[in-house]
Amino acid sequence: MLIMMFISLSIPVGSGSIVIANPPASPEYLIKAAYLYNFTKFVEWPPEAFEDDFSPINLFILGADPFGEALDSIKNRTVQGRRLNIKYVNHIEEVSGCHILFISASEKENLRSILRILKNSTILTISETENFSKRGGIINFIQVENKIHFEINPDAAQQGKLKISSQLLRLAKIVSSESR
Amino acid sequence: MGKDVVFQRGVMMSFIWILLLTFIATLGWAYENPTDLTELAIEDLMKIEITSVSKKQQKVFDAAAAIFVITQEDIRRSGVTSIPEALRMAPGVEVAHISANQWAISIRGFNNLFANKLLVLIDGRSVYSPLYSGVFWDIQDTLLEDIERIEVIRGPGATLWGANAVNGVINIITKQAKDTQGGLVSFGGGTEERGFGEVRYGGKIGEGTYYRAYAKYFDRDHFSDTFGQATHDGWNALRGGFRVDSQLSLQDSITAQGDIYKTDSGLTSSFALLYPPFTQSLNEEIHSVGGNILGRWRHTFSNSSDMILQMYYDWKEHQELAHGERRDTFDLDFQHKFPLVEWQEVVWGLGYRLVEDDIRNSFSVAFTPDHRTDHLFSGFVQDDLSLIKDRLRVTLGSKFEHNSYTGFEIQPNVRMLWTPGSRHSIWGAVSRAVRTPARADDDVRYNISALPPDTVTNPSSLPVLISAFGNHYVESEKLIAYELGYRVQATSRITMDIATFYNDYTHLRSSETGMPRLETSPGPLHLLVPITLGNGLKATTYGLEMAIDWRALDWWRLQASYTYLKVRVPSASVMSSTFVEFGDERDPRHQIGLWSWMDLRRDLELNLSFRFVDKLPDLQVKSYVNLDAQLVWKPHKNLELSIVGQNLLDHSHAEFRTESFLPAPAIEVERGVYGRMTWRF
Repeated sequence: MLIMMFISLSIPVGSGSIVIANPPASPEYLIKAAYLYNFTKFVEWPPEAFEDDFSPINLFILGADPFGEALDSIKNRTVQGRRLNIKYVNHIEEVSGCHILFISASEKENLRSILRILKNSTILTISETENFSKRGGIINFIQVENKIHFEINPDAAQQGKLKISSQLLRLAKIVSSESR
Repeated sequence: MGKDVVFQRGVMMSFIWILLLTFIATLGWAYENPTDLTELAIEDLMKIEITSVSKKQQKVFDAAAAIFVITQEDIRRSGVTSIPEALRMAPGVEVAHISANQWAISIRGFNNLFANKLLVLIDGRSVYSPLYSGVFWDIQDTLLEDIERIEVIRGPGATLWGANAVNGVINIITKQAKDTQGGLVSFGGGTEERGFGEVRYGGKIGEGTYYRAYAKYFDRDHFSDTFGQATHDGWNALRGGFRVDSQLSLQDSITAQGDIYKTDSGLTSSFALLYPPFTQSLNEEIHSVGGNILGRWRHTFSNSSDMILQMYYDWKEHQELAHGERRDTFDLDFQHKFPLVEWQEVVWGLGYRLVEDDIRNSFSVAFTPDHRTDHLFSGFVQDDLSLIKDRLRVTLGSKFEHNSYTGFEIQPNVRMLWTPGSRHSIWGAVSRAVRTPARADDDVRYNISALPPDTVTNPSSLPVLISAFGNHYVESEKLIAYELGYRVQATSRITMDIATFYNDYTHLRSSETGMPRLETSPGPLHLLVPITLGNGLKATTYGLEMAIDWRALDWWRLQASYTYLKVRVPSASVMSSTFVEFGDERDPRHQIGLWSWMDLRRDLELNLSFRFVDKLPDLQVKSYVNLDAQLVWKPHKNLELSIVGQNLLDHSHAEFRTESFLPAPAIEVERGVYGRMTWRF
């Protein structure tokens, strides 16, 4: 008994400071960040959405940011020949120039008015709240048996003059807008 | 015997050391950069399983209470076959398997066959029996596979749950019908689990309405006593039920569910007689049948405001030699949540419960009156104030009740939650709770034992009958609880939860021996020694509960729990004529639990559950260490085979001893193995 304790104490322990600096990104948001990066490859914006062939793709996070460090893996990467630029906003009024808008769950209460304001824009709206796609959001993350999948509302995409590749539609759960 | 203990201790210590070492080594590993997910195609992203510790902890993190959630995965991987056994996972809970069909379960002390300080609910339906203030665990069951989670809240059940949630609340929540779609057939057998079979089918009716129906049967073997003799406690049960959930519109949803069951349990009972042999021990079968039906309507006004209306009817019938009970319960509950201002959320509710019973009396156990109808009116209000947004929250609330025994009772509490950072929180609470009297406290006469005449213990020429009497003036037991807790999500892989408490009890049930007197009826003439129930005792308890959840590796998850409890009964409050049904030495001082869930391969799991429970000196029950092991193989997507070994470290061991005035060898829990096959379609 005592011998065991003695042996354990004398084995040098590996490195690894126990200081908790910035909390490391949670796997869920690393996956969602990877999805955001990938979605840009399958979506075509109308020509008027961009200034020129080299202007960046603007990804805005509206509301409380759940990603944290997870976005570091996609920040400033190049996609479709454009740089992926990330900005954090708190009000729907600040979305001019936005191409992809990730609406945080913190904005759940204002969802209806947010989507109403965005109805005629060319913004790819993405969220992770229940019924987001039914209400007119374009892409919504859902959890299926511990895995992250997504729903797409093609009608909402069409309204925003966005073309979503059939390759992406094939993998998504298709949702139509709920008639109210 | 000594070598056994040393061996057990040795195994446990080694386990703890291996755990500690892996933890330290993994801490460094935990910070390594994850693989670059952006390199993966979408099809591959869709296959990744997120098994974040935070999913389970999320519910708990913001609670200003000592709450532990036992998830469906915990239930499945622990290989348990009953709700009582599943409860072992929570810190602060004492689970003692008395006999094959009886358990003594309590939170924070005072454990007993009819431990009376714990409120248990299944989907909002109270299963706490007002007859003895306890829970008949042998009739509480459902398809374990369909349990979504079990919330174990230690400490006064706060405003929301009401009287008798003195030391804690156990809330068993089943899955919604939409999460149990398709068919399931599961059956197996073994040494203690002689045989069992379960079927369930779930389907959909139109858009938004889901249903399921299930049936299960099991037959469980008896245990044995310290001398190896078989005890008469084998049992079997047949049960079925259904659930329908319907989303009527975006704002309204309704649920209807019901169960029906029949349970037969073996029991050895001893009876006092006024003629030779003056005491008789008989093996008998207890027959229980019952059912319930529950309906719930939820209306959502907005994201922060909703209302729930719930109604249920529960009936049960219980027959044993000395006692028969038929009980009907009708309960109506209303609850409304709304924001008062942006930073203040109010929940309030009203409830009414009607309980009616019919009791068959016998010489041994008699209730006067033998038929009683009780009305319980309750209301509660709780105000949740966000004093500093996301940082400091104070909750004030109180439950108000009017019952047929003690009239009006108030149970206020105040709670505070301080979240200095997103990864840790500190909470504290002060609460008042009461345990209202049960039918037995008020109306019972129980002839405990008889002493034959002309003996050393009874030199008189008349037999002596010792009987316990209820007392119409009995009051509620009262508690003031002080609690403090700390929760931290140290890394994305490990969380730790600590809760401490100090409980001050007054008016605890006591029994006073009165002056012996002659009694002619029931005949023959005898000397009666009355023991009358009262509220003469005080006690204080304090303790600490700790739970650690550690996802050591992606395929290996570890959980550990430690419970410390000290019960103090001040001797000044105990008079020589008082029987104390609880004490400093009847609850385990320390309890340790360790669970290791391992995914050896995509289709193979090895799950281990380890526990140490300290001795119960007053009951002459020794401490024990035990291990359950489960091997699961999934040869096909829809097929699962498993083999489970329970109580492996000892051939048999006693976990509790119910007292009787007769010395009897303790019933011991036996080692067992069973196999199970589950097919889903």
